[in-house]
Amino acid sequence: MMEKDPLELEEPTEELVIEKVEKADVPPSAPPEEPAEEPAEEETPSPPLDSPHDMTDILRIENLNIWFQMRQGFLKDITTKETRYAKAVDGISFDIKKGEIFCLVGESGCGKTTTGKGILRLVEPTAGSIIFIDDENDPIIKKLLKSEAAITTVDGRKGIDVRKLTRAEMTYARQRIQMIFQDPYESLNPKMTVFDIVAEPLIVNKLYKDEKDKEVRVKKALNEAGLRPPEQFMWRYPHQVSGGQRQRVGIAGALVLSPSLLVADEPISMLDVSIRGEILKLMLDLREKERLSYLFITHDLSVAYVFSDRIGVMYLGRIVELGPTEAVIKNPKHPYTQALITVVPKPDPTAKEEKIILRGERPDPTHIPKGCRFHPRCPYVMDICRVDQPAETEFEPGHWAECFLLSSAKEERKMAELIKKGKKKKFLKLR
Amino acid sequence: MALLEVKDLRTYFSTMEGTVQAVDGVSFEVKEGEAMGLAGESGCGKTTAALSIMRLLPVNGYIKTGTITFNGRNIVKLNPVKLRKIRWKDMSIVFQGAMNALNPVKRVGDQIIEPMLLHENITEEAALKRAKELFELVGINPDRINEYPHEFSGGMRQRVMIAMSLACWPKLIIADEPTTALDVMIQAQIIRLLKNLQRELDLALIMISHDLSVLAETCEKLCIMYAGKIVENGTSVHVFKNGRHPYTRGLVAAFPNIKGVKFMPEPIPGNPPNLIHPPIGCRFYERCKYRQEVCKDNEPQLFEVEPDHWVACHLVQTGVI
Repeated sequence: MMEKDPLELEEPTEELVIEKVEKADVPPSAPPEEPAEEPAEEETPSPPLDSPHDMTDILRIENLNIWFQMRQGFLKDITTKETRYAKAVDGISFDIKKGEIFCLVGESGCGKTTTGKGILRLVEPTAGSIIFIDDENDPIIKKLLKSEAAITTVDGRKGIDVRKLTRAEMTYARQRIQMIFQDPYESLNPKMTVFDIVAEPLIVNKLYKDEKDKEVRVKKALNEAGLRPPEQFMWRYPHQVSGGQRQRVGIAGALVLSPSLLVADEPISMLDVSIRGEILKLMLDLREKERLSYLFITHDLSVAYVFSDRIGVMYLGRIVELGPTEAVIKNPKHPYTQALITVVPKPDPTAKEEKIILRGERPDPTHIPKGCRFHPRCPYVMDICRVDQPAETEFEPGHWAECFLLSSAKEERKMAELIKKGKKKKFLKLR
Repeated sequence: MALLEVKDLRTYFSTMEGTVQAVDGVSFEVKEGEAMGLAGESGCGKTTAALSIMRLLPVNGYIKTGTITFNGRNIVKLNPVKLRKIRWKDMSIVFQGAMNALNPVKRVGDQIIEPMLLHENITEEAALKRAKELFELVGINPDRINEYPHEFSGGMRQRVMIAMSLACWPKLIIADEPTTALDVMIQAQIIRLLKNLQRELDLALIMISHDLSVLAETCEKLCIMYAGKIVENGTSVHVFKNGRHPYTRGLVAAFPNIKGVKFMPEPIPGNPPNLIHPPIGCRFYERCKYRQEVCKDNEPQLFEVEPDHWVACHLVQTGVI
């Protein structure tokens, strides 16, 4: 697995090694194996879940920025004071509830993958906070909570600001936040067996007692990922298993550390249609059984529609609309979301719907337009959009969008009028 | 008469492991100005079928039997010189992966005029003039004619490929996964472009894709391929609204509809069979949830369930499903 940036694979501090506690060996409700400093806690089993997801946050992201510095050539770099940035992620905030599937959708280049990587600090965020709030009784979280600098309080619960962790601590924390990569044909090392790929996170984190224990845990992870019986797959090389099974190997590599949050970056887009459903089902099963939460990153709105609980639509580094899946898909408010939904191909030859096809190509994060960043492609652009950045408007609980058309009822009427007059067509003159 | 008529086409590949029967008895026809879709999983033989029609198979591939009648002429037996007169003049192809299909060291303009100069007796100036017209037709600024492929974005490169396929005003265009690597918005632009061109120029179009929903929006007719054979053939409405073959139904159920009811895409368990030793009976037997004894050893033939709607399934034929 290429889960980890090679730079991050440095030795954990000795203190951390001592306390490596193997969660996978312990049934979920059993007390942690930690030296009994606080005996009271040993009697508190983790509370059972009534619904697939309760309402507490597991991840809260506030005003996250991930900028990349641009090189403009040697001479220009040393002669100009002004540094240019590609603002891949430019101030986004959202939260993920425990057991929830939160979906980020958008065109390529909108910053959705960068967001996912930023959460695991596979790319370093420039500003903002990423707060991870998990079960305080979990030995790993307990350990992380000892790091004074990173603790913050969210709604009365202790959270860990991922950005403030040291490198060693971050490596340690990745046991609970894991990632599934897009392309199972490229993300698996062809020279390693399935066993080695799945065992690698254990080796990196020094998480196994002996070879026997390692094998038990790899088998368990393969089993959970649906590669049954594990003995049949363990000693194969990636080219000896099918595409769907490859992605399962990737998932097993993430599961072997028993994470509580999985960042899944387009996990099904490279797979054949007939096996996509399998992987989605597996992910749903894991949510039920392991209480996993997901950040699901996809460009495919129809998959987001059937799979996720909430959707955030990204455009050029910002979330322009966010809300419960039903609401966003059936009642989209932002012109970009509206356009995106009409262009999703529908498996229905009788569907007669006018598509809102935006002109132009994907926008460039190095030249972000002034004002609303969507205005050059927006069919309803007004003067104000070229000057000011719209604020988010919440028009029903938990469903908001960033658009001037929504910020007052008056403007909304204006938009309705435009559509009525048939001006929409004029704006949408298409090729 | 149909513009293109493929009859019992068998295209095999010789490999170290044995002969791969990639396309094994495929028949269909495309009329003038008609758009037909060829759908199926990867490895089902849709691209091989297209390359057979263009006679562009790799060296280890060959057409075993069958006829491909284009414009009244069987092109399977045509010698290379005569074939070259037809290829790109009367039928052309938009290759899969526009990102890599253009020559990176030649200006796009030069690449577009190449077939014109080869096929028609025109001057370079006239050819360039036409190339500019083509650029306009596919929605690229004609001033960009002298740029290199790397200066174009993915969607623009795909437009260049389409312009190139139109160079000699062919009657038939084969588009092999024309939108697969593109974003939804660009995909919608390209689909609309292809649709408009087809209508305006009265082109026949064969669209190859694994994405049924893209085909639903572009094609009037659909062929569903599985493991080298066509299992269902009919109008798009037939296939989507009244698909009879278990595989067709499975494929349709694998595509969620954003405007429809919310359902999880249904997987089709198992993998396609090995085409070096294909099963004797129905090729979908291993993965079919309705399978019966009869399917195992008897190969089903296409039969007409309703006018212009053909299915190859024993169980549909006997009315079991």
